[in-house]
Amino acid sequence: MLNLRSLVRAGTILVLCVYTAFAAGPFVWAATLSLRTTSEIALDHFALPGILHWEKFPAAWYGSNYHVYFGNSLFVVLTAVAVVTVAGAMAAHCFARYRFRLNRVVYFAIFSTIIFPPQITILALYQILVQYGLYNSLVGLALVYVAIQLPLTVYILESFFARIPSDLFDAARMDGYSEWEIFWRVSLPIAFPAIATTVILNTILLWNEFLYAVVLITDDNNRTLPLGIQRFMGDQLEDVGMIATGLMIAIVPVILVYAFFSEKLIQGMTAGAVK
Amino acid sequence: MAVVTLEGLSKRYDSGSAQAVDGVTLTVADGEFMVLLGPSGCGKSTTLRMVAGLESITSGALAIDGARMNDVPAKDRDIAMVFQSYALYPHMDVMGNLAFGLRRRAVPKAEIERRVRDVAATLGLADLLARKPYQLSGGQRQRVALGRAIVRDPKVFLFDEPLSNLDAALRVSMRGELIRLHQRLKATMIYVTHDQVEAMTMGSRICIMNRGRVVQIGAPLDVYRRPANTFVAGFLGNPPMNLLPARVAAAQEGLEVGALALPLERAAHLPPGMPVTFGVRAEDVAEVPHPRAAGGGIRLAAEVATVEPLGAETILGLQIQGSERDVMARVGRDSRARRGDRIEAWLDPAAVQLFDAATGDVIPA
Repeated sequence: MLNLRSLVRAGTILVLCVYTAFAAGPFVWAATLSLRTTSEIALDHFALPGILHWEKFPAAWYGSNYHVYFGNSLFVVLTAVAVVTVAGAMAAHCFARYRFRLNRVVYFAIFSTIIFPPQITILALYQILVQYGLYNSLVGLALVYVAIQLPLTVYILESFFARIPSDLFDAARMDGYSEWEIFWRVSLPIAFPAIATTVILNTILLWNEFLYAVVLITDDNNRTLPLGIQRFMGDQLEDVGMIATGLMIAIVPVILVYAFFSEKLIQGMTAGAVK
Repeated sequence: MAVVTLEGLSKRYDSGSAQAVDGVTLTVADGEFMVLLGPSGCGKSTTLRMVAGLESITSGALAIDGARMNDVPAKDRDIAMVFQSYALYPHMDVMGNLAFGLRRRAVPKAEIERRVRDVAATLGLADLLARKPYQLSGGQRQRVALGRAIVRDPKVFLFDEPLSNLDAALRVSMRGELIRLHQRLKATMIYVTHDQVEAMTMGSRICIMNRGRVVQIGAPLDVYRRPANTFVAGFLGNPPMNLLPARVAAAQEGLEVGALALPLERAAHLPPGMPVTFGVRAEDVAEVPHPRAAGGGIRLAAEVATVEPLGAETILGLQIQGSERDVMARVGRDSRARRGDRIEAWLDPAAVQLFDAATGDVIPA
């Protein structure tokens, strides 16, 4: 019996190891590339770094304008995620909480917009942004990000808010709180696990977003990180080493966000946030 | 001082649908413990929620101390409510839950602290103030929910089936605590339940509701002894009142119940042949010999169909010739009756209630 159990355990660990290698392999490879120069890489793609070229990071950061791209990405993503989270949570709270005419119609209208692929909306968005003077601006890009991520955010949060027992809201009303205060002091804290989920999802998606950015941003000083990395890809020459360094710089914030919020996420779920 | 007056209070959810609450008129006196009792879906909870201000009032008037409350928001009615699900805020500890209502009302911090600790001490929650709701047992959660209402010192307390999520033993002890709480606070309380034991033991008065309407209001024992109609008779009591279809006898004074002719003076002034419902409580039916049977009364032959020994007493189901329904009799714990025995049963004519078979209303003696 014991043998069988340890065999199963060993098998599970083996499968997990293989999967981890599969998932983390490319990441580790890119990490080694980021510390090697392009000429070293050309000699052997898979060699471990002999000399650790840490100087490539400051070189990319200042020499290749990454500090600007990084700042731009940070601004756009933080703004978009903040707005989409607050606006999405408010919308979701209303859809889940209040009975009003056409509640479901409006809800599904918002949700149904996710069926349009970006290629369809991008032309119209381009024209709108040009007309409003938001083309080639970070604010314009942030607004577009809010719009494309809102439906999914509302969808995820609505289903969560709908599960919060309505007695809690009634109790808060009896306790003297207004609808606005109830949203901030009851709904939001209880829904924190769901909010953390949408924050992680939106941050990662928008941080890596390329298509809208490449169409709507042309000025070098307004580029976001994915566009900055793309700059190293020329027609004739690709600075593979620098691309890898750029990727590493771009990945760090995503990992930080994930680490922070997923911890909270698990806490929230195991603490029995609802009930 | 808080008198709650409901006058023709009605609730209709959609213009097409039926009335959830239909013209409820009720006055809850100051310091009274009023129980709204009825089967699920009878409108008692909706009535309570209209008093609370959580549900809009379709028509009728609600007043507290004479001031019209129809359009006053819930938070300004000075009412506290205890919910069936307790409705504790899961992200706050017990302290936070108890203080939440006071914080909104701009009570000074030191005062909040003092009041919360006071209430926590009386409810035995003093050691639990730092706990989150999920770390509490059902009974402790119930106390926190209660404490949250008490700490606000409201004019009126509302309870929406607060004990129905507790196990049987805890329910009994919480019932006692609520009764003591009411005696101590002397506050006006309105309590919704579908549990008749809670209603009988706790209420100063009971208001029985059915299908959105008030059926009968009265002190628990009055309602029990003199039910206004067959609904109340069949709802209150365990076992409920025996209700048998009968007919006023044409030949002599009395009733025909099944194939039996029962002598009953009270039936004399009723038109012969009138269909009635014959009602008698199980405790007014006995097995002969019985001390009460010595002074006369109605005797009839019966066959024991079921025997339910409950320890303190035994409930017999008696089959009477020609009647489809068994007559339940509450007899002493030392009854020797066994299934299939043929016995002589006695019933107290003074305790018999007659109801109009068509309307179900009681026929006054």
